[in-house]
Amino acid sequence: MEFDLQNPLTGFEEYHFDSVSALFANESDHMPSFLDFKSTDVRFSLRRHSVFLISQVQSSYKFDGYIAYLAVNYIDRFLSKQAVLENKPWIVRILVIVSLSLAAKMRNVDLSLSDIQRDEGLNFDAQSIHRMESLILDTLKWRLRSITPFSFLHFFNSFFKLGDSCLTQSLKQRASDIIFSTQYEIKLFEYKPSIIAASALLCAAEELIPLQFSSCLAAISESQYSNKEELMNALAVMREMLIEGRDYCSMLTPKSVLECEHTSSQCETHTNQDMDTIKKQRLSDLRDDDQTFQISQVQWC
Amino acid sequence: MEKYEKLEKVGEGTYGKVYKAKDKATGQLVALKKTRLEMDEEGIPPTALREISLLQMLSHSLYIVRLLCVEHIDKNGKPILYLVFEYLDTDLKKFIDSHRKGPNARALPTALIQSFLYQLCKGVAHCHSHGVLHRDLKPQNLLVDKEKGILKIADLGLGRAFTVPMKSYTHEIVTLWYRAPEVLLGSTHYSTAVDMWSVGCIFAEMVRRQALFPGDSEFQQLLHIFRLLGTPTDKQWPGVSSLRDWHVYPQWEPQNLASAVPALGPDGVDLLTKMLKFDPADRISAKAALEHPYFDSLDKSQF
Repeated sequence: MEFDLQNPLTGFEEYHFDSVSALFANESDHMPSFLDFKSTDVRFSLRRHSVFLISQVQSSYKFDGYIAYLAVNYIDRFLSKQAVLENKPWIVRILVIVSLSLAAKMRNVDLSLSDIQRDEGLNFDAQSIHRMESLILDTLKWRLRSITPFSFLHFFNSFFKLGDSCLTQSLKQRASDIIFSTQYEIKLFEYKPSIIAASALLCAAEELIPLQFSSCLAAISESQYSNKEELMNALAVMREMLIEGRDYCSMLTPKSVLECEHTSSQCETHTNQDMDTIKKQRLSDLRDDDQTFQISQVQWC
Repeated sequence: MEKYEKLEKVGEGTYGKVYKAKDKATGQLVALKKTRLEMDEEGIPPTALREISLLQMLSHSLYIVRLLCVEHIDKNGKPILYLVFEYLDTDLKKFIDSHRKGPNARALPTALIQSFLYQLCKGVAHCHSHGVLHRDLKPQNLLVDKEKGILKIADLGLGRAFTVPMKSYTHEIVTLWYRAPEVLLGSTHYSTAVDMWSVGCIFAEMVRRQALFPGDSEFQQLLHIFRLLGTPTDKQWPGVSSLRDWHVYPQWEPQNLASAVPALGPDGVDLLTKMLKFDPADRISAKAALEHPYFDSLDKSQF
């Protein structure tokens, strides 16, 4: 039985509304806590490089987007609990390899370690990999069934009472795409997965059914499950992220984790021309259900 | 594992040895469940990852034995996993045994049976709301704190990661007494109802102080059930005669269930009847059981 991010608790195929309260009760266990860190903390650049490497591996192997998402969730939670002092390429690599392997195992997808390592030019022996796996598992307390925003999509979507299954599906699809891209936005780190899910659905509603947006907003914000103030703040950040993402990619916002810089000194010397040399690459990927989604990516030349 | 001081071996569970131990730093008593891992070059097996993470998630309930942490060690190149659980002093089997024989032989207090059953239904409802079936509920798997009157479900979830063996670690035959008829008849579509059958058997056993259906083979187990509840027909359980392991059985008429549990009042018998329905679709759910009139006299505010 694979781990389904949209339905993380249940072993049954159908969705169980009973389990919703369990999701809300447990969601905080699966959040990274980067908030207390200084922006110069080496873990931010470790994260940035890891996310970049994951997107590279993903574009080579075309595995499902949830694996990459889950791996980044593991890395975030690992880094927010571990005092890593150095940003060394090998640390990033082994972290990425092991997190991807754990995510693939949870998703029940065959992604062998040798496959992941093949193109990366740096091979680790089995013992090092196993040690890293143990370290990550200990740090995450074996809580690999991450409760992510995807887990709440179905629940909040049901609030809209659209009565049109096609529209419901499109909203969910668009909200999923937004959630995938939120993983790059540091300003959204402080929000709980449920709040991210609700905001993503509202952003999707604003784009697809603008006339019904206010009734959707009312339905969600009046529910006992969301704090209105938090929701409005998250929604504002997400809107801003999407607007910026449209004309350039969201990772280039000043406070973003994926800031375009290798070191801070290099960053200071960036000119517009340097920015032009940054290739914006769109990665299309096929998911299980054959629907495509895109994550905007930056690649350094 | 230096963190823990092993005090004694308390059992050999289905999946390996269980030790009572003490956390050296806090003095807390814990149960260490030792499991060998079959590792390959890909590291920890996916099934173990998925099951343990499920246990972690379920362990939030008061009625589930809490998984405190997981210790992963390498002993002479062989990976060993210790699941560290909270420690409870006894289990329901030993508890019932102590009331059946020896100097303290007497019936279990009615209020205690009611409270234990309520806690059991709470725990089962928690598992089911998370989409998890226990599949092996039995008195040995229900841990009890005698002083506080608390009952918690143990050995959860391991059923799939470590595939339930026919013979346990100690070569003791895995008990069939609590197994639902649809499982015994080879149905491939299990549902939450399999656990409710077990709950019914456990309920009756608390009242009787002996097992309701003590079969020693799958066939004998079915005969025990049919002798009391009558041989099921397609009318009362649609599709029963097309189940994989269905045979022709002697035709028994249903007996009066109350006669099997003479100490139980009418509300209790009604609840038990609903737990022991042949057709899994008719069997009461854990959530509905919690609302049954049998529990009306229970002070639910304490739970």
